[in-house]
Amino acid sequence: MQGIWSGTISFSLVAIPVDLVKAVDSGRVSFRMLHSKDYSPLQRRMFCPEEETMVPPDEIIRGYEIGPDKYILISDEELESVSPERSRTIEIVEFIDMDEVDPIYYDHPYYLIPSKGGEKAYRLLVEVMRRTHKAGLAKFVLGEREYLVAVYSSEGALALITLHYREEILPDEDISPKKGKIEDEEKSRIKQNIRKMMADFDPGKYADKRRKEIMDLLKKKAKEKAPVEAPEMEGEEGEGPADLVAALKESMRKVKKNR
Amino acid sequence: MAGKAIWKGYINFGDVNLPVKLHTAIKEDRIQFHLLHKRDHLKLRQQMICAFEKKPVPTEAQVKGFEVEEGKYIIVDPDEIEQTAPEDSRMIEVREFVKTEQIDPLFLERVYYLEPDVPLKGYDALVGALKEMEVAGICTWAMRKRYYLGALQTGGKILRLTTLRYADEVISLKSLELPDIPLSEKELKIGSDLINRLTAPFQPQKFENEHQKKLQSLIEKKARGEKIAVLRPRRLKPTAPDKLLQALEASLKKVA
Repeated sequence: MQGIWSGTISFSLVAIPVDLVKAVDSGRVSFRMLHSKDYSPLQRRMFCPEEETMVPPDEIIRGYEIGPDKYILISDEELESVSPERSRTIEIVEFIDMDEVDPIYYDHPYYLIPSKGGEKAYRLLVEVMRRTHKAGLAKFVLGEREYLVAVYSSEGALALITLHYREEILPDEDISPKKGKIEDEEKSRIKQNIRKMMADFDPGKYADKRRKEIMDLLKKKAKEKAPVEAPEMEGEEGEGPADLVAALKESMRKVKKNR
Repeated sequence: MAGKAIWKGYINFGDVNLPVKLHTAIKEDRIQFHLLHKRDHLKLRQQMICAFEKKPVPTEAQVKGFEVEEGKYIIVDPDEIEQTAPEDSRMIEVREFVKTEQIDPLFLERVYYLEPDVPLKGYDALVGALKEMEVAGICTWAMRKRYYLGALQTGGKILRLTTLRYADEVISLKSLELPDIPLSEKELKIGSDLINRLTAPFQPQKFENEHQKKLQSLIEKKARGEKIAVLRPRRLKPTAPDKLLQALEASLKKVA
């Protein structure tokens, strides 16, 4: 399981070592960009336009623009020191009933899995949250951002969902319908329609049509022509992450390990 | 104010055909950083580099491929992919209704506000019906060259449309294969008591993005040339399995 973050989740005096992993995987068909000359795969790299060279991750620093070509540089350590406790610990400060949460607050889901030594305390948290039908509310820092999160129990595991802050939710008063006629008859008719169309929630019923059409196209093309082959690359050159995000995460991980 | 209107469509089921406008509902405000070269503080640009030649490759020499086997690709023309894109039909077709509580938050993606468009008749009736029956409409529609699955629900006085993930996009919790560890009834009772003591009503206005504020002040401090103390985060000591009951009891005492 691909780990995104590693740390501790705590509530009162109980601390549980955990790893944060993906809960969702985009179904979109992913393509690779290739060099038309010889079909070598292309990689995204950071490039210094002045020196016209590629710049490896350890020579990159983040800067905040305060004026034209004027930047304040922030190192990884400085960034982490902004909220040091929260970048390592998801501290549950209170519990809530998830029925009280307007679903508009939900942002992105993840799963938490126990690391070595935390299996029992993890199981306890899963079980007591299930029994009491409550979720834990916490704040934690991942990368450059601080998230408000809800941690809840589902099928014997802990799920974590980041929440939007109140100020990020746009008001809807300006598009609300103005008070008009009461539409009771219309409402009854609609309810009748709804009753005839009731079912249980089952997303498995619906497949991604676009994905199927692209896969059909690819199958057709595979039959018409043999796939092209990229040139053999020696071990070293073939390695390396395909995109910058993975590279930066890797260098941040190394910085943390060297402490 | 709600976000700008990005699309227009019709909610369709039975004899209902309701014109609506989609608006974005969330606005994220983040401090943006640029990536710079450490040596000279020049702003870096992203480039596509050939893994083989180690040189940048211009757009004209780039093609898209689908990897069927390691190192083997089917080349696709962008026009061919375009052809598979759906036509915008403007119909948001409601396929069925489900109890809102059945929708697991893992499936929720992006939420849009729906503004009534002319003619206005029927919007309030639909809001009332969905709210009173506590149901959501599961819909399919094609928008901006993509097919969508979504949930039509109410939020206050208006309708909302939230895109849903497809079933195979959510990783099954069972696949995590977590070990089943026995727990004592005492541990479970004290744990449950503790949670109930720490329960509060959900009041999102209590929470602010403090990190954003602290980050802003860090930037200002550096701009003034002040020295920054680099604090190292400490890791909390994990609660050992044989000390769990003790920790729970001490916690309960603390909140009593």
